[in-house]
Amino acid sequence: MLRRLAGFFRGWVIPALLLGWWEHSSHRDAVHAYAFVPLEEILAAIRQLLGSGELLLNLEGSLMRASIGLSVGVAVGVLTGLAMAFSATARTLINPVFQSIRQVPLLGITPLVALWLGNGEQAKIFIIVLAAFYPMVLNTYEGLRSVDRRYGEVGYAYGLNRAQVLRRVLVPAALPSFFSGLQQAVPFAWIAAVAGELLFNVGAGLGNLMMVAETNAQMDVIIVCTGTIALLGIAMSQLVSLWSAYALRWRR
Amino acid sequence: MNAASSRLATTILPPLRLRTPIWSDFKWLTSAISPVVLLLAWILATRAHWFSDRILVPPREVWSAFLELCASGELWDDLKISLLRLSSGFGLGALGGLVLGIILETSSLARSYLNPLFQVLRQVPTLALIPMFILLFGIGETLKIVIIVKSTLYPVALATMEGVRNIPEHYLEVGRAYRLGPWMSFKRILFPAAVPPILTGLRIALGRSWMVLVAIELLTADAGLGQTMETGRQMLRLDIVMVGVIVTGVIGFTLDRGLQFLERALLPWIYR
Repeated sequence: MLRRLAGFFRGWVIPALLLGWWEHSSHRDAVHAYAFVPLEEILAAIRQLLGSGELLLNLEGSLMRASIGLSVGVAVGVLTGLAMAFSATARTLINPVFQSIRQVPLLGITPLVALWLGNGEQAKIFIIVLAAFYPMVLNTYEGLRSVDRRYGEVGYAYGLNRAQVLRRVLVPAALPSFFSGLQQAVPFAWIAAVAGELLFNVGAGLGNLMMVAETNAQMDVIIVCTGTIALLGIAMSQLVSLWSAYALRWRR
Repeated sequence: MNAASSRLATTILPPLRLRTPIWSDFKWLTSAISPVVLLLAWILATRAHWFSDRILVPPREVWSAFLELCASGELWDDLKISLLRLSSGFGLGALGGLVLGIILETSSLARSYLNPLFQVLRQVPTLALIPMFILLFGIGETLKIVIIVKSTLYPVALATMEGVRNIPEHYLEVGRAYRLGPWMSFKRILFPAAVPPILTGLRIALGRSWMVLVAIELLTADAGLGQTMETGRQMLRLDIVMVGVIVTGVIGFTLDRGLQFLERALLPWIYR
């Protein structure tokens, strides 16, 4: 008990030292206070950003965009994965193009997207769609492809028809892979949403709020935004984990 | 499965059957169909002027932009700068990740001090740190290196921890019983157990670092491949942007293949 308690407190030593150092540097002189904002100022910034509704407004913008992009990306990704798993023709046609486009780093295509779709909402959502699309295609395809054929045989032996085999055998067998795709897609789409806002600075979003704060050298606002983004990312991952544990509870 | 039952399987399992059409023997040929069709459609669309020049330029122009950028040496300079940033940041981050991973996994004292901070910082996405790091480090080289170090450190540290966990303790005991020297026990026991996850971690880290570097070059726009694309975009030079996108993809692909090649060379028993 005592040892575990000691272990717990040890974990706080370095963070406390870092915070102390931060607080110390922030009170040293004006040059330091520029980068190391005092902790009390960060609290004030939280209160102010919440009070003015600025944080919620931009948060809503980012979340809205992320959910639209995520839904479209997941839907299109799953459909593409299904097509590739069930039709050799689709696989032959889609796979080479998919694999080559996938080589370009996600944010590397933003200049091209900007020229095609402009600087606004469409471009940002397109990036999020792509972020969710890639892992969903790969995982749906892999999940369906790796289903043991004998499971299907058993299904037919029990007199199930195609649709029933699909629903009762293939979908449950591919579900774990679908969820592991979702576990990659959701955080990736969230990061893509924020990064898209950093790159296309039009409209409301946490990324935009951060870029404005960067231009005005408001470290406190940036810290609040970064914290919010990280917390929401954790929350989303947890939600997906919970959902996947619930949906796959029959496996235990 | 014998022949009879497999025939049975293919007759009663239409939806599961992976059909093998005649042309599947010519995989290298058929997999070229869709890219070639896309290319033809691209040429056709530009010939017929279905889209404005701002949306679509002919492949020929992209090619000549590529040659132009090569001839002026601009592309080469960009590549040198971007790859130098990538390799120094990746090198530092990978080294730090290795050391951190080994320390966190082998010393419970270090773990109790470092782990909470390690886990909390892990949750902060690298890209979300860019504005903060710009204020802290300016937009110079330091910024790029620090960001790449951050994006490399975590995957490598996590993979190293897994690799160290993989080392079978009782094999080491057997090794001691056989009086293996340190080099032999490294070569025969430590290396084969720890290196595969570490190499996977390095590959993930390299891919992410490349993406993050391109993003930050787009954002801060001083030298590098990302900056050339950003300038191209501002001048509405679609051809330059496309060259940039393609080169970025080719570099990413080559880096990944390079590490895959290293995996195969170092761990031949896995791919045998």
